Amino acid sequence: MLANSELKSKNIFANITQSKFSTFLPVALALIVIWLYFGLTTDAFFSARNFYYLFLQSTVVAVLAVGITIVLLLGHIDLSIAAVAGVGAAIMAVLVSQFGMSAPLACVIAIFTCILIGVVQGLLVAIIGIPSFVVTLAGLLGFQGVMLKILGNDGAINVRDSFIRGITTETLPTTTSWIILAFVILFMIYNAYINYKERAALSLEVESIFISTLRVSIVTLISITFVWVMNSYRGIPVAIVILLCLTLLFSYVTKNTPYGRALFAVGGNEESARRVGISIQKTTIYAFAIIGGVSALGGIIAASRYASVSYNAFSGNLLLDAIGAAVVGGTSLFGGRGSVWNAILGALVIGSLGNGLDLTGATTADKLMVSALILVSAVAIDAISRKKGKKV
Amino acid sequence: MENMTNPHLQVCGINKSFGNVRALLDVDFSVRRGEVMALVGDNGAGKSTLMKVLAGAYSYDSGDFLIDGKNVTINSPTDAANQGIQIVYQDLALCDNLDVIDNLSLGHEPTKGGIYKLLPKSLRPLDMLKMTQKAHAAIEKLKVKTLRSTSLEVGVLSGGQKQAIAIARAVSSDSSVVLLDEPTAALGVSQTAQVLDIVSTLKKSGHSVVYISHNLKDIFQVADRITVMRLGEQIAIYETAKITPQELVVAMTSGVETDSQDKKDLADAC
Ligand SMILES: Nc1ncnc2c1ncn2[C@@H]1O[C@H](COP(=O)(O)OP(=O)(O)OP(=O)(O)O)[C@@H](O)[C@H]1O
Ligand SMILES: [Mg+2]
Repeated sequence: MLANSELKSKNIFANITQSKFSTFLPVALALIVIWLYFGLTTDAFFSARNFYYLFLQSTVVAVLAVGITIVLLLGHIDLSIAAVAGVGAAIMAVLVSQFGMSAPLACVIAIFTCILIGVVQGLLVAIIGIPSFVVTLAGLLGFQGVMLKILGNDGAINVRDSFIRGITTETLPTTTSWIILAFVILFMIYNAYINYKERAALSLEVESIFISTLRVSIVTLISITFVWVMNSYRGIPVAIVILLCLTLLFSYVTKNTPYGRALFAVGGNEESARRVGISIQKTTIYAFAIIGGVSALGGIIAASRYASVSYNAFSGNLLLDAIGAAVVGGTSLFGGRGSVWNAILGALVIGSLGNGLDLTGATTADKLMVSALILVSAVAIDAISRKKGKKV
Repeated sequence: MENMTNPHLQVCGINKSFGNVRALLDVDFSVRRGEVMALVGDNGAGKSTLMKVLAGAYSYDSGDFLIDGKNVTINSPTDAANQGIQIVYQDLALCDNLDVIDNLSLGHEPTKGGIYKLLPKSLRPLDMLKMTQKAHAAIEKLKVKTLRSTSLEVGVLSGGQKQAIAIARAVSSDSSVVLLDEPTAALGVSQTAQVLDIVSTLKKSGHSVVYISHNLKDIFQVADRITVMRLGEQIAIYETAKITPQELVVAMTSGVETDSQDKKDLADAC
């Protein structure tokens, strides 16, 4: 019988690191160290106001990072996300400001256009068999061109529509966010309890009560702190609510559905996936469709944040920050390993570094070098843990 | 209960060419229920090709395919699976980054019904309870004693445990025939013993097992009968108890004198 004797092991540390829940530990630790460092060396870092802007500032990168995680899981890469985000934002901006279309409709059209772009790139990768690196590198160049074409001579369009602006300027009423949080926590506890009972009833292996409690407590603690900090400044911006919903959705898709299993399987061992009857082509095309749509969403949030769509905003660091965030969050560049929630933590690491270095008066040169160091360390950890054989 | 001496799976007069290479020449082959049939022969004799024909991975040029004496059409691995034929490839085809439970259900995961039926199949929530139960049943059936937990990633398992998981996947679906292509080629002594144990268990549970190996010691340990192939032809079928390893080696390498052994008695009539 597969008893849970192993899970009753006295060694609590081993118990925690062996559970699947532990993959967020490295990035969470990195984040805490970074926050402590900047909190101790600068006065302004540990304030509700600074965290509010830090989170808001990191949202665009986080959205793209959550999206690219899907493609990375599959063992592919998408270098065109920032350019496609720019195209999506530009389409939305033109439709709203030059054609007077209602903003929600313009957003839907922009997102669908970018899903189509994703499908085309996915087809080139899955059916023609061009490496995704090449397809999306071409996409990066081509869609930067498309973005410039749409934006016209000025290379920028201002966005003053109140719906679009509201995404990053409006916040949830404080009581509403507390009520939602209460429901989320109750749901989580209920879920953990039901799951435990069902499995125990069938005498199946159960996660040790210690781990379950720890997991629920940590998530509860983090979310209460988060809501409290945001509410003590302005509340939770709509953009962050969108990010959290998106991540929740993708967390469900990647961890709890046959499609999610297919993503991991193809990323882990394509030939094995093929032999058990998984369609590599469909899995790949859907993943690129998803990242297309997510890119557009990120682009729209960026347009809201800057009140404009400009070539510069989508051709700079955005791409590398997003991929960096996913990788810092522990998602493997080699496929088959990663988590969408960790991508948010990765985005916060990247965002916090930028924010903290700004506060300490660091130059752009310093910021670039520190970012490079973080990225290389993350990829090195990825490569080493892969060599060592899975265990981190 | 089926008659134990009638073949469960049988192919007759199978021919298969790859361009000019005639890989299978008029091959008759069969395996009974609760029997381990070994398939031996030199490199390039056509063993893997025959195995892939049986598993539906290769189509054949001519010949008959019978299950319990009835003609069937096998054109794809899915056809074969529907007839209860499962193959364990030499490279196992497992995903190291997924756990045992996931690997055992991969490609045909059970999902929750009810309101979730509104979602497309691949976006419905997995029925983790059913997946776990299925995995436990499969593992239990094979008596993989050393496996501590089904939520371990397959990548951290030993070669023998992985082999066991690959076999478990083949037998967890409603299979009656299990084809094993060199399952112990990469394994150590104790792990080989484990796989041979599994083969015996399968046999006891009434499965038809086809076992390809170059290791004569293993073959003499588990096989009931031995089919010898040479240059694309099936040249002899022996009862394991009635032949010595030396005689088998001679048959594999230099063929059989037609009168040296009355193989017709041991072959199932076509
Ligand atoms: N896909 C193919 N295309 C062309 N020729 C093939 C193909 N597959 C097998 N053959 C040929 O068919 C013959 C039988 O090959 P097969 O793989 O069945 O041998 P085997 O008995 O399994 O040998 P081994 O013990 O080395 O695994 C060989 O001559 C091989 O070259
Ligand atoms: Mg072979």
